[in-house]
Amino acid sequence: MGITPKYAVIEPATGKLDRRIFSEPAVYDDEMEKIFGRAWLMIGHESLVPAIDDFFHTYMGEDPVILTRDGHGRLHALLNMCRHRGNRVVRCDDGNAKRFMCTYHGWTYRNDGALDHVPGEAQAYYDALDRPSLGLIEARVETYAGIVFATWAKDAPSLEAYLGDARWYLDTVFNRRGGGMQALGPMKWLEPVNWKTLVDNCSDNYHVPTSHLSSARVQTRWLGRPPLSHEDQFASPNQHAFVNGHSITFRDADDNAPRYVHGVSKETFRLFQEYHDATMPEVERRLGTLRARRVQLGNHSIFPNGILGLRLALPRGPLKTEFWHFVLLDRDAPEEIKRAIRIGSQANNGAAGMFEQDDVDNWRQVTLASTSRFGRRHPQNLSMGLGHAGPHPDYPGLVSERYISENNQRLFYRRWEEFMNAESWAQIPLDPIKSTFEGTATMRG
Amino acid sequence: MNTKRAHEAAARSAEPTTALTLQQALWLELMQFYIREAWLLDERKFKEWLDLFTDDVLYFMPRRKNVPRREAQRELTPLGDLAILEEDKRYLEMRVARLDTGMAWAEDPPSRTRHLIGNLEAAPLENGEVEAKTAFLVCRSHLETDYQLLSGCREDVLRKVNGAWKVRRRTIVLDANVLLDKNLSVFL
Repeated sequence: MGITPKYAVIEPATGKLDRRIFSEPAVYDDEMEKIFGRAWLMIGHESLVPAIDDFFHTYMGEDPVILTRDGHGRLHALLNMCRHRGNRVVRCDDGNAKRFMCTYHGWTYRNDGALDHVPGEAQAYYDALDRPSLGLIEARVETYAGIVFATWAKDAPSLEAYLGDARWYLDTVFNRRGGGMQALGPMKWLEPVNWKTLVDNCSDNYHVPTSHLSSARVQTRWLGRPPLSHEDQFASPNQHAFVNGHSITFRDADDNAPRYVHGVSKETFRLFQEYHDATMPEVERRLGTLRARRVQLGNHSIFPNGILGLRLALPRGPLKTEFWHFVLLDRDAPEEIKRAIRIGSQANNGAAGMFEQDDVDNWRQVTLASTSRFGRRHPQNLSMGLGHAGPHPDYPGLVSERYISENNQRLFYRRWEEFMNAESWAQIPLDPIKSTFEGTATMRG
Repeated sequence: MNTKRAHEAAARSAEPTTALTLQQALWLELMQFYIREAWLLDERKFKEWLDLFTDDVLYFMPRRKNVPRREAQRELTPLGDLAILEEDKRYLEMRVARLDTGMAWAEDPPSRTRHLIGNLEAAPLENGEVEAKTAFLVCRSHLETDYQLLSGCREDVLRKVNGAWKVRRRTIVLDANVLLDKNLSVFL
């Protein structure tokens, strides 16, 4: 297209990353337009609005959005901004309502966004108000296996194309059971961190045996969870892959082991094994043998800000991020399994989580280093595993030779450049879907 | 009444001539318990702090939502929903034990805290346990300039074990919807 790239922040040959992207206000402003204004953004889950007229308040980047299920059961993502002066029309976190009334002058909207009532319309506006054009601003909404995504971009490709072959991996958690998943949450807290570090960290397996060793040690002793070290990680059958903007780690082993999640302990292991065995025929039917028996999604992120399942990194200025933590459960799982995962998840993740609380001071300094007058002259070093990733005969995307690698980080920042340097969606490259999706599972569950 | 007699009358009424009611005695006993707990936390005597809980304790911190006033019953998430904390004694022990590994980065170097506990209301239950509700302000200073103010209430159920009160169930209700701080690594 003859456009000179404006951003060249990652050097592919060396993995040097320009730190200024973590703090410069102009870069952040551009991100809100070119990334959060364009990408398919994870905003919630269908189970948060199960009934007619349910709503759930969420965000697309910085913008407050109401996820609604209208009287016909259709989902909408509506900008929470009265078209008159701009007040929010919803102040609650969730609920059930047919209409939303602005508390300033009383303009009232239906839950499909249409402007339904304007006080004194005939007298005040002399019947000249173009009411049909003044509905709440609506984003495009699509779902994948119950997870709700929305985009402001009219020219964005379908969500299916956007996820591309990443879905081949994502299905192994989100599309496992016919009954789908249910979301609990969110827990919300602010971190003094640039949003990209939270996303980048989800594919950073290298930090785990250092950042989280204290929690891993006590959990080995108290809960019988396996020990954690760099050696253990190098020996594990885990893989690191990058697909179409999305960072994936996955376990690659045909040993009939249940997915290892927070909540698995020596007491609950048998329960998880039994659940794994009992559901395997269904999972195999839905996902085919290779994915059902061999592939288990691990840590991952969905570009730009969906991380580790349904967790959101919501930008709040260059130096701040609001973190939302949900837990996703197989809807038809036994209550004991749901309980174990729920408790394991909140004990380890979230603001008070044993694992997660140890991340934030590290991440904060990554952000602050970019404000250091002298530090920012020196790039981040993302050189790990350079030249040791490529196509794989069995798996989609670019797969690293080792699980511990910065391949995904380099590619995440390259994807960031692709969005930031594009004039429109037409200039954002998208890998075609090449995988064979065996089994009966589809985008719709 | 002249001044001298007035002083004598005041002095007489200040003498502890009547026994405390049972309710007052319980209040004093529990207030001492909470003051001692606050000092144990602020002086980082976490193993002794753990002894203030029964072995079957539930240490619970629900999420707090924005809901309309008429739907106030939905403001706190119930047990079974995703909570901020839903811990048993074993998890509390792990949280304390990990501080000694030297690698619990959220608390190494440690936070400087001040737990202020007040507004105690206590009521005995028929089974011999007591319900005690307190308000707290917890100040946390960390590293160089991090400063956190946490406010909320504790709704405890306490049981006497070998003559000493222990918390059998603690529900911590924070006043925040979005927690404003980087993490929640101090005990409340």
